[in-house]
Amino acid sequence: MGKGAHVKGWRGLAVGAAAVAVAVAGCGTSTNDSGGNSGEAKTLTVWLMDGSAPETLTNALNKEFQDSHSGVTVNYEVQKWTGIQEKLTTALASNNPPDVIELGNTQTAKFAADETLLDLSGDVSNLNGDQWLGGLKDSLTWNGKQYGMPFYAANRTVVYRTDLFQAAGIEPPKSRDEWVAAIEKLKTANAADPEFQSLYLPGQSWYALLSFIWDEGGDVAKAQGSAWAGALNTPEAKAGLDFYKKLVDTSGTKAPKDVDEATPQQFEVFAKGKVGMMIALPWELGSAVKADPTLKDKTAAFPIPSKTAGKTAPVFLGGSNLAIPGGSKNQDLAKEYLKLLSSAKYQDQLAEAGAVPGTSKDTAKLATSPLGKALAASAPTGKVTPTTPTWAAVEAGQNPLKDMLTAYLTGAKSLDQATSDANTALSKTLGG
Amino acid sequence: MIAKKVSSNVIAVVLALFFAFPTYWMVTSAFKPTRDLSSSSYDLIPLSVTAQNFAAAWNKEGFLRSLGNSLLVSLTAVLAALLVGLLAAVAMSRLRFKGRKGFVLLMLVAQMAPFEALLIPMFLMMRDLDLLDKLPSLALIYFAVTLPFCAWTLRGFVNGIPLELEEAAMVDGCGRWGAFRRVTLPLLGPGLVATSVFAFVTAWNEFLYALSLMKDQAKETLPVWLSGFQTAFGTDWGGAMAASTLFTLPVLVFFLIVQRKMVSGVTAGAVKG
Amino acid sequence: MTAVHTTDAGVPTNKSAPRRAAPGGAPRRRGSSFDRLLPYLLLAPAFAAILWLIGWPVLSLLVTSFRKLNLKELTRGEVVWVGLDNYTEILGNPDFWIITARTVIFTVAVVGLSVLSGLLIALLMRQVSPVVRIVLQVTMLLAWAMPLIAATTVYQWIFDQQYGILNKTLVKLGFDGFAGYSWFSTGTSTLAVIGLLVVWQAVPFLAFSLYAGAIGIPRDQYEAAAIDGASPWQTFRSVTWPELRPLVMMLTFLSMLWDFKVFTQIWAFRKGGPDGASTTLPVLQYLEGISKSHFGVAAAVSVVMMVLLGVLTFQYLRRLIKQEGTL
Repeated sequence: MGKGAHVKGWRGLAVGAAAVAVAVAGCGTSTNDSGGNSGEAKTLTVWLMDGSAPETLTNALNKEFQDSHSGVTVNYEVQKWTGIQEKLTTALASNNPPDVIELGNTQTAKFAADETLLDLSGDVSNLNGDQWLGGLKDSLTWNGKQYGMPFYAANRTVVYRTDLFQAAGIEPPKSRDEWVAAIEKLKTANAADPEFQSLYLPGQSWYALLSFIWDEGGDVAKAQGSAWAGALNTPEAKAGLDFYKKLVDTSGTKAPKDVDEATPQQFEVFAKGKVGMMIALPWELGSAVKADPTLKDKTAAFPIPSKTAGKTAPVFLGGSNLAIPGGSKNQDLAKEYLKLLSSAKYQDQLAEAGAVPGTSKDTAKLATSPLGKALAASAPTGKVTPTTPTWAAVEAGQNPLKDMLTAYLTGAKSLDQATSDANTALSKTLGG
Repeated sequence: MIAKKVSSNVIAVVLALFFAFPTYWMVTSAFKPTRDLSSSSYDLIPLSVTAQNFAAAWNKEGFLRSLGNSLLVSLTAVLAALLVGLLAAVAMSRLRFKGRKGFVLLMLVAQMAPFEALLIPMFLMMRDLDLLDKLPSLALIYFAVTLPFCAWTLRGFVNGIPLELEEAAMVDGCGRWGAFRRVTLPLLGPGLVATSVFAFVTAWNEFLYALSLMKDQAKETLPVWLSGFQTAFGTDWGGAMAASTLFTLPVLVFFLIVQRKMVSGVTAGAVKG
Repeated sequence: MTAVHTTDAGVPTNKSAPRRAAPGGAPRRRGSSFDRLLPYLLLAPAFAAILWLIGWPVLSLLVTSFRKLNLKELTRGEVVWVGLDNYTEILGNPDFWIITARTVIFTVAVVGLSVLSGLLIALLMRQVSPVVRIVLQVTMLLAWAMPLIAATTVYQWIFDQQYGILNKTLVKLGFDGFAGYSWFSTGTSTLAVIGLLVVWQAVPFLAFSLYAGAIGIPRDQYEAAAIDGASPWQTFRSVTWPELRPLVMMLTFLSMLWDFKVFTQIWAFRKGGPDGASTTLPVLQYLEGISKSHFGVAAAVSVVMMVLLGVLTFQYLRRLIKQEGTL
């Protein structure tokens, strides 16, 4: 640590000297008030996750950052999802951790609570703090302090085939009942094709389940003081689970009941053209279009409808935060990197790519596509999973919600049994 | 008698199918177009074929680089484990000394260590030695993990070579080393090969340490590279299968090279009876 | 070598004859201090490597099991002693004993099945025509050579509920009940599929080793047995089994060590689910360590695993070392 402080000291001195020199000489050749301009070669290591920011954005961002910070090289690496928990653990404990990391919003609390992240509370205003997306801000706040900057968020919408809807004379539904009716109607209209699924819904799509539970007014867990306990055995949660089953039963989806939307990738199934709807993230539609370009002109999306007609169901605001590890040797540079990323230019690019930008409330760029419109419509009511450090273990370990879904959908357990078992398991994990 | 022979052959063929099927499935899945993968139609034999997945795997960034890393790390570890293991094997098999039993026991007990659970201590050790992010640390770990098994197995092979042969050579005027080099070592060839196969497969497959100790992507090994087909949205099955096929090839080549030696190792084993 | 007619399995095998002579050969040239040092010099590299790269981490694992080591303590290098807290936590968990029993049963089942299959296949290989034998050997090589990650992926794909080739084939054969059948709905059936995968990859090594041992058995012994009019089963009992027994025991021991620690496959399939019903000790260790970042607790689980493995294999080790003594 002594070394780090030392370097910082020298860097500060150098910055001061440079500033004086620039002021005296009155020339603006290397005008830069940043800490990276000490002439000393530095490497800023940035870890973003696979599939998060579009390559065009990161290329431009890294180039601009390097251009404005002479002597600084951005070592940008895309991390794989498999094994990220192990990799982050060892990386954070190493002598030379990365300088900027991307953390899923559901795992940020854990890393913050373990004091592995730099407290950015003092820099919030510098990072467009008043524009931060509420749901994400909550996810990176621990004990009243901010340990990161929101990166982007996305929520699920119902992606549907406009041509099939038209042929069957269906309007995008405005309520849950209309949705179920639409599923039924679409199914009847395509009954001639045994391969057809009016809605593709795998058994463990638990983020979709969250929407239904929240729509009923329930939640997965509730805070009791500082501790959290499962709330899956409440009537609201049971009603949400029941609605999930209703969707599966009505649509007669052929999707496996014991996996989530990743196996097989649901966009692949959708791209084969035998699926009327899927509950999906923006890029899943993007990938489907890539697999079958003709889908581009015959797909659109509507927000997951609420049981209250005309409203949309609260959605899970999935997304990421950016954080600076406490052991980073280039904390000032890292903050400047975040600052650059939080600027309108790059936030607009995020929105264009189909995500809700983390540090800008301007979603105009997002609302240009039909899908973006659906996304933007439901994002404000977006919610996140319980912000407790122990929640990360629910997703990194054995997720009781998935077991609950499979057990109930396959008939292995009754509604009461499935929810109460899952609730016990969840409370146990949340209790640490 | 003939009926018995025929039924043995039939059983063997059925078993061969059982062993081969997953490989067959891997290769054919790799050749299937993405849209055919999650298909409800019956496709034991691919309905259509494409090389697209292989192209994608081959062109995915880092294939050759991680192949090189994997080969480097695995081969170094195997060679080191064979050399050090052989020295220990000879001592344990041919020489009598105090503490021999203890060493033999150590080779067995060392294999009980829960390798996966040692990640954190091993990580801390490599960190303090400043060996993180350096490929030699992986080679070192794979060497250590395969060493007890290599030493133990080689000891068995040395045991299998009659000492009389070596003694005869010594009578003929070879020194102890000369006798070992001219008589024992050539006879050990197949044993070394069989042992190396095991060590190679272990090192080649290792994922956890390669992932956690190599922060820098330029140093990733093939299993880590392979895991990149599992994205946030699921697995690219076609790509993963194509990449797995490519990943299996070097091992298969290695196997086929040493396979004849393995068979002759078996014959050499028969000589001693 | 004269034919052995005895059926007494306890009689030492003739194959160990050269072994027995082996250690006795050296002391003839005793005397020089180099000779006395030689074994230690030869063993030094292996000894040092094992102590350093296995012994030391195991020791620190043991020490860690008495510490609280979460991500916080790990990144800050803090040392917090908690005594036996980690052990009381895991041993006090009622699930722990179920998980332990499950791990032992899984290990025993997989080891038993793979060693038995390996033995049968090794014996079968002697019976078949050369072409068939080579075909079988090559396919076993394929299974052995397939990388673990690839193998788990392929198996998941084969057993997929909806698109898996297995269910599709079963339906095609007329078993309509398997349409959309989930192989992973219970812990037992999940572990059965995983066990099949483990056995499938373990058998080739066992079969090759045992085949090597089997064809090393002198032919004249079988001829003698044939002259005596022994049935195949009697021949096996009196000739084959006594010869292969030490090898089978050794392979059983090694398989125990390997299969007890199986983790990657179990985690890849259902992360020890559904409802934790396929969770074994290595999975528990991972859940505590990596998922929850409670490395102290995870270390305690590992220590329990090592102790358990020691208990399971103690008898064998003792016998083996005793045998060493007579050599």
